[in-house]
Amino acid sequence: MFFRLLFESFRRQKRRKSVALLAIALGMTIATAMIAVGNDVGDKINEDLRRNGGNLVLTPMEDTLDVNLGGVNLKPASEGAFIAESDLPKIKSIFWGHNIRGFVPYLSSPEQITANGHSLNAELIGTYFDQPLHFGKDDFTAGVRSMSGLWKVQGEWPEDYAAWPEHAAPNVLAGSKLADENNLHVGDEITIGGRKLHISGTVNTGGAEDSAIVAPLHIAQTILGQPNKVRRVVVSAMTKPEDAFGRRDPSTLSPDARDRWYCSPYANSIAFQLHEALPNVRVDQIRQVEQNQGKVLSRISGMMLLLTLAALLASALAVSAAMAGTVLERRNEVGLMKSLGASDAAVASLFLTEAGLLALAGGLIGFLAGAVLAHRVGQTVFGSAINVQPVVLAVVICAALLVTFVGSISAVRKAMQFDPAVVLRGDA
Amino acid sequence: MKGRNQLFFRMLLKAVWVRKDRALTALISVAVVATIATAALTVYSDLENKLSREFTRFGANVVVTKKAVSKIAAGTDKSSNSPNELEKISALLGPSGEAVPVAYAIATAPDGSKLVIGGADLKQLKQLNAWWSINKSADTNLPLVGSRVEDKLARDQALTIKVGESDHAIGPHLVFRSGSDDDSRIYIDLPTFIAWTGVQPNTVLLRVQGKPQEIQSTIDRLSASLPQAEVKPVRQITQAQTSVIGKTRSVVFAASAIVLVLIMLTMVATFTSSVLERRKDFAVMKALGASNRTVNVMFASEAAVQAIAGATIGYILGCGIAFWIGKANFEAAIWPQPMLLLPVLLGSMLLALGAATAPLRLLQQIQPAGILRGE
Repeated sequence: MFFRLLFESFRRQKRRKSVALLAIALGMTIATAMIAVGNDVGDKINEDLRRNGGNLVLTPMEDTLDVNLGGVNLKPASEGAFIAESDLPKIKSIFWGHNIRGFVPYLSSPEQITANGHSLNAELIGTYFDQPLHFGKDDFTAGVRSMSGLWKVQGEWPEDYAAWPEHAAPNVLAGSKLADENNLHVGDEITIGGRKLHISGTVNTGGAEDSAIVAPLHIAQTILGQPNKVRRVVVSAMTKPEDAFGRRDPSTLSPDARDRWYCSPYANSIAFQLHEALPNVRVDQIRQVEQNQGKVLSRISGMMLLLTLAALLASALAVSAAMAGTVLERRNEVGLMKSLGASDAAVASLFLTEAGLLALAGGLIGFLAGAVLAHRVGQTVFGSAINVQPVVLAVVICAALLVTFVGSISAVRKAMQFDPAVVLRGDA
Repeated sequence: MKGRNQLFFRMLLKAVWVRKDRALTALISVAVVATIATAALTVYSDLENKLSREFTRFGANVVVTKKAVSKIAAGTDKSSNSPNELEKISALLGPSGEAVPVAYAIATAPDGSKLVIGGADLKQLKQLNAWWSINKSADTNLPLVGSRVEDKLARDQALTIKVGESDHAIGPHLVFRSGSDDDSRIYIDLPTFIAWTGVQPNTVLLRVQGKPQEIQSTIDRLSASLPQAEVKPVRQITQAQTSVIGKTRSVVFAASAIVLVLIMLTMVATFTSSVLERRKDFAVMKALGASNRTVNVMFASEAAVQAIAGATIGYILGCGIAFWIGKANFEAAIWPQPMLLLPVLLGSMLLALGAATAPLRLLQQIQPAGILRGE
């Protein structure tokens, strides 16, 4: 009997039920889309920023001081200590290896360059462009191209030569300022240290590279006579904004707290793990980037969270209002059922089961529609999808049930307080 | 005429009073739309300012250098940014920007290695580079020694450097960590630096305040008025600002648009169903001789009253929410935008009118007798 009443109620009141279902589904669409977007926006912007440069810098522990003035490196390659290039894939071996978005090694030295028949002094910078590497079972690439948001190259990017090619002069990039001042063009040949190089493009980064020749690392190593050596590695890691706990010194923490610190992707804990993987290396946060971006990202995430809360509250109100409306509309049925002897509990359970079924269906439809919307927002704004975590489904279904019940209960209670005779006469 | 008006207002009032719950539902649905629209639009319009303010913490976003700074470093050129140029820079920056002149020179450490020393107003420098981690927070004018210099050369011993032919002791100092080339430098007070090296400031670190396009226009004006100098944005900072603000605005815009469209749909559904529900009222009015126009005006006025009341409540609530978001998240209030009131009121009213009068056209096609018989 109960199920027949339930079934008939849905069959005969298609319009009313679909309005209620629409309200719940729309409310839950908002909930899903906002939770997904709000949850992911910090990561997405962080990822975007990480493409513009690194946030950690690795230098050899025993290195001499940098002598860098006005963006010009005055320290020769023969001085100081180095990091072994063959150790670099270990960067991916740390606990937070998958948070390492990329790294770029550098080896540089002021050199004499012969171009167009005259000689000039400029820095030779060796680096990875898009070097394929592997560590354990992982294959990945490292180099400026994946972190090159700021590198504007006109012409072609050079390849990362594994070995010195015999047949032709290897490709290099000329800094845009160097090229302008010395009339260097794409296609020109220059000579550094007796080696012929071919300019395949010019690069503008707004930094020291603008006045330098940027060559594949292995070519620079050969020219500078420093095989398997790099001077500096810039690492781009996805990090969590630092808080008081993140700033603690791990050696002063209890074993439990230390584990928690170690297993949180703070810049400090990633730096600590990098130092463990490469013991002769000093790891520093690029504080101007790391300290400040964290603050900006937490502001954005915070704002999205608050907007999400406001939107959730609004959709809860809208759903509750719609549900209250649909229940109140049916006070005649309540009157009829009660006059036929139905108890308050029986009437309430019928209405609440209906509300529950509507909530389940509306929640599911809303979740699917919200996931599609979040996906579209991700594609439009960030060019990559925002994925909705499955746990959001559970949250959304619970929210749908809660909002629908809260919206219905007060209306059901009010409907039951009516005298059946008065209601049936149409006077209520 | 007076009596007609009185009757009209009595019917309007009674329609709300007798079905309080239904009127409340409609009012809530308008208020929700207006609240979200006001909050989202207010936050959105102030977002660029609020986020740009966050980026001032990044320190210098523009660097002005004399062209051919390496010559200055080598000691062959002792020219400097003249006071005249500094004045020009300060005038272009306006009161909110900051300019810190810095001079650099190369010194020799006791072990014979080279290092860069800088001279600047140390208080200003620390203020500009607020992200530097400094070992003591004492607000003193002690020299600032980069962490790599400290590790390599000082190690708690007295640090002496050679500038030209004379030795100078650095004495008590603070140690800072920046993760940049500055870690290999020592900064001393500018007058002392000039006395030691004879080199005048050749670089000015600037913090230009404002939105990305304002920063760019300041850079353009600086370049135009200082032809002897190179004006370079710190691209990782300016690019980050442009990208973060652009993306965030787009996300807030997209999210707000989705929320608004969906909430509007809910509101329209609520309004439409509340009118359809009243088809008996409609039929009674028609049966008593009301014209289609009168009925339309009746229903439209109800919707308009609900919309104005709901939108006013929503506007106030929305301003409150935006203010709270500003306080809670940006530690600075996001103030109400009075110019939003009219669009919110008009928008809500149009939406409510559309939602309430559309179903009337449907009802007008049905005979009142049919509706009254319950068909």
